[in-house]
Amino acid sequence: MTQHESVVERPEVSAPEPWSFPEAQRAELANGLGVVSYDIPGQYVISVRLAVPMPLDREPREREGIATIMARTLDEGTARHTAEEFAQLLERKGIALGAGVSESGLIVDVDVPKRNLGEALDLLSQAVREPVFPGNEVSRHIKIRLAEIDHEHAVPGQRAALEFISTYFDPAERASRPGAGTKATISAITPADVAAFHTANVVPCGATLVVAGDLSQVDVVSEVEDALGSWRGAALEAVESPEAARAADAARIVFLDRPDSVQTEFYIGCPGPDRRVEGGWAAYQVLGFVVGGSPSARIDAVLREDKGFTYGIRSGFRPRRHGGVFLTSGSVRADSTTEALGLLLEILDKAREGFTEAETQAGVDFIGRTAPGRYATADTVADEAAGLSLEGLTTEFTTASLRALADVDAQVLTKAYRRYVTGEWTVIIVGDASLYAEGVRGLSRGEVAILPA
Amino acid sequence: MPLDYQIAERTLANGLRVVVSEDHSVPNVTVNLWVKVGSRHEVEGRTGFAHLFEHLMFQGSRNVASGEHFSAIMGAGGRLNATTWFDRTNYFETVPRGAMDLALWMEADRHGYLLDAVNQENLDNQRDVVKEEKRQSYDNVPYGNAIIDIYAAIFPKDHPYHHATIGSMEDLDAASVQDVHEFFRRYYGPNNTVLTLVGDLTPDEGFDAAERYFGSLPTIATDARALAYPLPPLPGPLRDEHIEVVPSDRLHVAFRLPVDNTPEFFASSVAMDIIGGLATSRLYQRLVRREQIANGVSAHTMGLVDGVSLGFIGIDVADGCSADVVEAAACEELVRFAAEGPSDVEMESAKAQSERGWLSSLASQEERADHICHHVALHGDSGYINTFLDRLDEVTAAEVQQAAAWWLVPESRAVVAYLKQERVAQ
Repeated sequence: MTQHESVVERPEVSAPEPWSFPEAQRAELANGLGVVSYDIPGQYVISVRLAVPMPLDREPREREGIATIMARTLDEGTARHTAEEFAQLLERKGIALGAGVSESGLIVDVDVPKRNLGEALDLLSQAVREPVFPGNEVSRHIKIRLAEIDHEHAVPGQRAALEFISTYFDPAERASRPGAGTKATISAITPADVAAFHTANVVPCGATLVVAGDLSQVDVVSEVEDALGSWRGAALEAVESPEAARAADAARIVFLDRPDSVQTEFYIGCPGPDRRVEGGWAAYQVLGFVVGGSPSARIDAVLREDKGFTYGIRSGFRPRRHGGVFLTSGSVRADSTTEALGLLLEILDKAREGFTEAETQAGVDFIGRTAPGRYATADTVADEAAGLSLEGLTTEFTTASLRALADVDAQVLTKAYRRYVTGEWTVIIVGDASLYAEGVRGLSRGEVAILPA
Repeated sequence: MPLDYQIAERTLANGLRVVVSEDHSVPNVTVNLWVKVGSRHEVEGRTGFAHLFEHLMFQGSRNVASGEHFSAIMGAGGRLNATTWFDRTNYFETVPRGAMDLALWMEADRHGYLLDAVNQENLDNQRDVVKEEKRQSYDNVPYGNAIIDIYAAIFPKDHPYHHATIGSMEDLDAASVQDVHEFFRRYYGPNNTVLTLVGDLTPDEGFDAAERYFGSLPTIATDARALAYPLPPLPGPLRDEHIEVVPSDRLHVAFRLPVDNTPEFFASSVAMDIIGGLATSRLYQRLVRREQIANGVSAHTMGLVDGVSLGFIGIDVADGCSADVVEAAACEELVRFAAEGPSDVEMESAKAQSERGWLSSLASQEERADHICHHVALHGDSGYINTFLDRLDEVTAAEVQQAAAWWLVPESRAVVAYLKQERVAQ
């Protein structure tokens, strides 16, 4: 083949245009509800998020999962409408309404075409303020949650994640148990429990309502005031719980036996920081990318592109409200289990020796320069603002973190990694133990406990 | 609300269709290419090949090293990937405006000169990666192979859609470097490709850049075969039952649907929403809310071009309830819907939710570029993103009923059932 028809010379990349995170407008209603809006021209679907701080350790120990059941039944019957009527009111206006809970609180999310924003805020208000938690709806959602638990246990990645929290965290910690509850705690929940939990926790004071989208000719504060201004509720005393403690014996290997698995799932973790970490969060975003964020990252360069053991393994620092976890997870061909785990731990450990300037720069540029695209839509901006509000942060944090990337070099990156990654891994494996547990033992990475999956 | 996304279109001398949609809301450009080859073009013994080939497009080309496509684009602040489906293969990246030229140069290099870099080693490596993708997504998860079973049940053997895009392990094993060369020469050329650029650029800038990087790519001989003969609904019900270690019984009730981008397809799609897709759908109301014999109902509609499309309803049977009872109730509702058609409120709901879904999907440059490429590549219509909602709005209740009565009746269903092993064994 001749070369003459080859494409033109490789172009240089020119510096990116300046960009900043969409600017927030802030207000607070008399009832203590914060209102944050982002006008993003051209975003015709408006994203509304109501974030209510509600740390999961407020759940009664024997009713864990009650926050999830409450979130799922907010729109299943209100003072004015039955569950079916409410669903119909939402759908006729093209409104999507959902709700879920995290470690830090409840987020109700609503997406709606701009012209129906008023109706959407009204229905959101009814769901949040006037739910009646009918007995048959609560019991239906309990049954669905019980079935969901069986499904979670059947999917290797989810099974591994569940075993990870119970191995990693001290058993006294809420974080060691499933956020959405276990069969025993879910089964114990009554509609009266849900109603009481709702009354105690879902209050305007301290909550944040985020509205993002094309807001030209929309008076956001006035619309929110109309819908939620008369919402009342006593604010709970804020009790800051400390960082969830790691279990004393967390650094070990648990092999969950899932006979005949054609792949083996890994879920590997050690402590990490939260967003307020000294020295800044930016370095940890870059680390996630450099270690396990792409096919060219350290892990997949070996396990995928060289060995062909995996479709992809991902690493990342997952911040919690206080403290965090550095997680690496993914699946490999079953018969590569031992070699893959050995390589994986070696790559993670060896990264303590340091990162190159080139890979650091690639990570800095990826995190920084993808930001305009990652935050281009109303839903991503609203999600970011709502999530951060539960941590007591605003999107100023996002802006500042992006700016701080400029100061991340190889030395900063290496120091940040060494600060948390000490080689004391909690390793969960889901696969065929009869075939591969011995090999894993042979890696001499510590005791290997074999449990049924 | 009339949509007015800017659309400009030009075809280069070598046949490459280029569409530019100017949007300066963020300083990015999305580069999206659709190549008109997918798993429907695969031949017997080579299922999964179009997708395996897509992986090789990341393993280097004449002037790009193996893996460099990911590292160079991501390092410049780009996000990228590629996907393969029945009707097409697409490649896409969203990059800062200052990296658009690099992205186009790299795309042109692999779309024009991939074969310089293909070798046994990178074929073997990506074959392994694809096999792990199959194991991860299909073989090692409960119900993972249900979608493959649905295709096999609903489309006749030898039909282009009978086999799934992921293919079979045996066929992946059989793929050779020679196959890669032949496939590339046959399907990868500017006149079998559409390039869409969305974002921070003018149409002229886009057309000039397309000409600069793709203008020299040689036209290929296309031997587009005629589309398959339109398939009618299944002539009688089919059942494919799997007794496996799954957490609960799940039914997939599948139907053939009319070809995409036709009034009949839009009507059948609205019918699928009303029967099983909405939170107020017939099946959700009855099975999940009222009788509580199912934990979930979902409807999926896949528009396709080769003589037929696909729709199916997934039903998670509640613990302690009979899958047969659930199926019988679902069939009753199908019969009822075919007889009475949708109510005004159902039509209003289905259209309102479709509108939101459509506007949400156009909210990002990435998806907008993908929709544009899709409708230019498969239907020759660059204006689709602006006109779809008007066309959907024209669908009448009578058309929805007609579509349901023809396509969505129990006699024309294929049921793929995954039943929990231990209970059946008792």
